Amino acid sequence: MIQKNIVETNPQEIRLEELCASTHLPTNIIIEIVAHGIVEPSGDTPNNWCFTATMVCTTRRALRLHNDLDIDWPGIALALSLIDEVQELRETNQVLEQRIERFHHCPRPEVEV
Amino acid sequence: MEFRDYYKILDVEPTASDKEIKTSYRRLARKYHPDLNHHDGAEEQFKEVAEAYDVLKDKEKRAEFDEIRQYGAHGQSFEPPPGWQPGGAQGRSSQQTGDYSDFFSSIFGGAFDQSGFQQHSSRGTSNFVARGQDVETDLPVFLEDTLKQTSKPISIDLSGKPKKLNVKIPVGVANGERIRLKGQGAPGIGGGPSGDLYFRIRLVPHPLFDIEGHNLIVVLPLAPWEAALGAKVEVPTLTGKVRLTIPPNSQTGQRLRVKGRGLVKKPSGKGDLFAVIKVVMPENSNEEVRALWQQLVDKAAFEPRKEWSS
Repeated sequence: MIQKNIVETNPQEIRLEELCASTHLPTNIIIEIVAHGIVEPSGDTPNNWCFTATMVCTTRRALRLHNDLDIDWPGIALALSLIDEVQELRETNQVLEQRIERFHHCPRPEVEV
Repeated sequence: MEFRDYYKILDVEPTASDKEIKTSYRRLARKYHPDLNHHDGAEEQFKEVAEAYDVLKDKEKRAEFDEIRQYGAHGQSFEPPPGWQPGGAQGRSSQQTGDYSDFFSSIFGGAFDQSGFQQHSSRGTSNFVARGQDVETDLPVFLEDTLKQTSKPISIDLSGKPKKLNVKIPVGVANGERIRLKGQGAPGIGGGPSGDLYFRIRLVPHPLFDIEGHNLIVVLPLAPWEAALGAKVEVPTLTGKVRLTIPPNSQTGQRLRVKGRGLVKKPSGKGDLFAVIKVVMPENSNEEVRALWQQLVDKAAFEPRKEWSS
């Protein structure tokens, strides 16, 4: 039987307490993560902060790097922005390769002249 | 079960110092960390490395492992020697990187119960309450499904149990974006709330269209005479065909814009569809056609390699 589920209609509605519960992190660590620009919630004070689902996942990635590789928060901020940039470049590259293949595709074999 | 030689996994000698072990772990962890490395099998390799480091960085666990190591060899089948009592050394407390091997559990005790959760015997299982883990998984989405609100039946594996959900895909969802299903992650422990389920959107490559921001691109093949004289052609879009007027003297690489036939922009609007002209030759030609081309050679003054001459 398929259960009915509704994807949250307003993804901005993840509050600080929820992020803490989700990542098992205390408030002060989240505040530090935000201070390093690792995630940028909307709202001006921690009480008003709203995080997106993507930010929750980024926080978890940051935490994994912190625990597993023993990297400090400024290092993580740098690593994550580089990782994201590499990922973006990979995707762009893939798209461009696909476009080149589509545009230059020729069913005929190479000819020796 | 298979014997795991933690020294081999960490690429160190059995006599290695704590410092050497740490250095080697850091090197291998960077190499295989699933957040840094997307190759198949990297996550499994990282778990092996993390488990090996968990044992070898801890004096007590390392001594226990050294003892058991006399009875097995890496990759070979292994049973703990008769009378072996799993020691008191406990697994990591990290909630993010659990998953110990059977081999680890047989030496250091059952770190997990059948549901996949760590047992917290030291804290007393009777009144231990914890929120369930969040679960992250990929969700492949077709480009067509991003244009209007659609529901997708999805089956995911939650701690070995299949779970069926009907997920509403938000309009205009982008590649790499996450959507959250609150309370649909792993169940809580001791009556604690369930975790959340996070889907990472993966737009499935389309057989015809490429994505450029919010715009779509389709290659439009034209016969040389269609490009020369202009034509009316049907072009596919994500929502059915449109009839395009090709202007005379069109050129390969030229882009024709079909407004509003791209992907949905948030918060409002839509991208465009670009049909990129590609002039193609017919597969074969006959005498008559060749004679017509010859007339063109005689009448159309055209030097396509003008840029080469200096």
